[in-house]
Amino acid sequence: MPARRLRSRSFRRLKVKLPGNRVTIHYRKRVPKAATCPVTGEKLHGVPRGTPGQLHKLPKAQRRPERPYGGVLSSKAMREEFRKEARGMELEKR
Amino acid sequence: MIEVGRLCLKIAGRDAGKKAVIIDVLDKKFVLLDGEVRRRKCNVSHIEPLRGKLDIEKGASHEAVAAEFDKLGWKARETKPKAAAEKQVSKRSKKSAEKKEAKSQASKEKAEAGTEKKSGHKGKTTVKGHEQVKKKAAKKKPAASSVKKSAPSKNADS
Repeated sequence: MPARRLRSRSFRRLKVKLPGNRVTIHYRKRVPKAATCPVTGEKLHGVPRGTPGQLHKLPKAQRRPERPYGGVLSSKAMREEFRKEARGMELEKR
Repeated sequence: MIEVGRLCLKIAGRDAGKKAVIIDVLDKKFVLLDGEVRRRKCNVSHIEPLRGKLDIEKGASHEAVAAEFDKLGWKARETKPKAAAEKQVSKRSKKSAEKKEAKSQASKEKAEAGTEKKSGHKGKTTVKGHEQVKKKAAKKKPAASSVKKSAPSKNADS
């Protein structure tokens, strides 16, 4: 019988086939999904995967990249945002 | 478009979204920026030129750029002036110097304590003990006069 603590749904159950042709269950901790960019949909770099409790313990600089919209937008999306801002600024300059 | 004096916006890096002016064109790929951003070389693909242009000379100083930015109502990047730099001493030599200082201080205190003790038991001082006190007193003198140069003084004694 597996240990009672392994009944928690925070463990995921993995079926593993052993060399002796037997199948057992391995228990693995669940990890939150990787952060994605809301604009491009690609995975964000520099943002570790962890529960809010785990992330909270990390220093701020280890949670997101050091740039505007770091950890929120991908670098591609951020650059596009600032390009738009620059074009908008042109009208002001005139 | 990419010319000296052209105003631009930095779109990449930690300075993204900040206004800058091109002070020098290094080659087809790189320019030198200053303004709200740190004064350094930047890739042309990381800036978006704006419609404005400033009348500054090539390689203008930060103060000149700050003055021009002031006219536009923008604030150029300010950094606090660093404290006057000490003479360049490597970390290692600093550490060993500090250690030796501490040691000489300790030996000074010991010598003082030693002399006090010995003066109490005048009759009972052994020859060896007396010699030790003399040695410590001798060490004390050079150490007291030049605490910073404790390294050479110690070598001289031993």
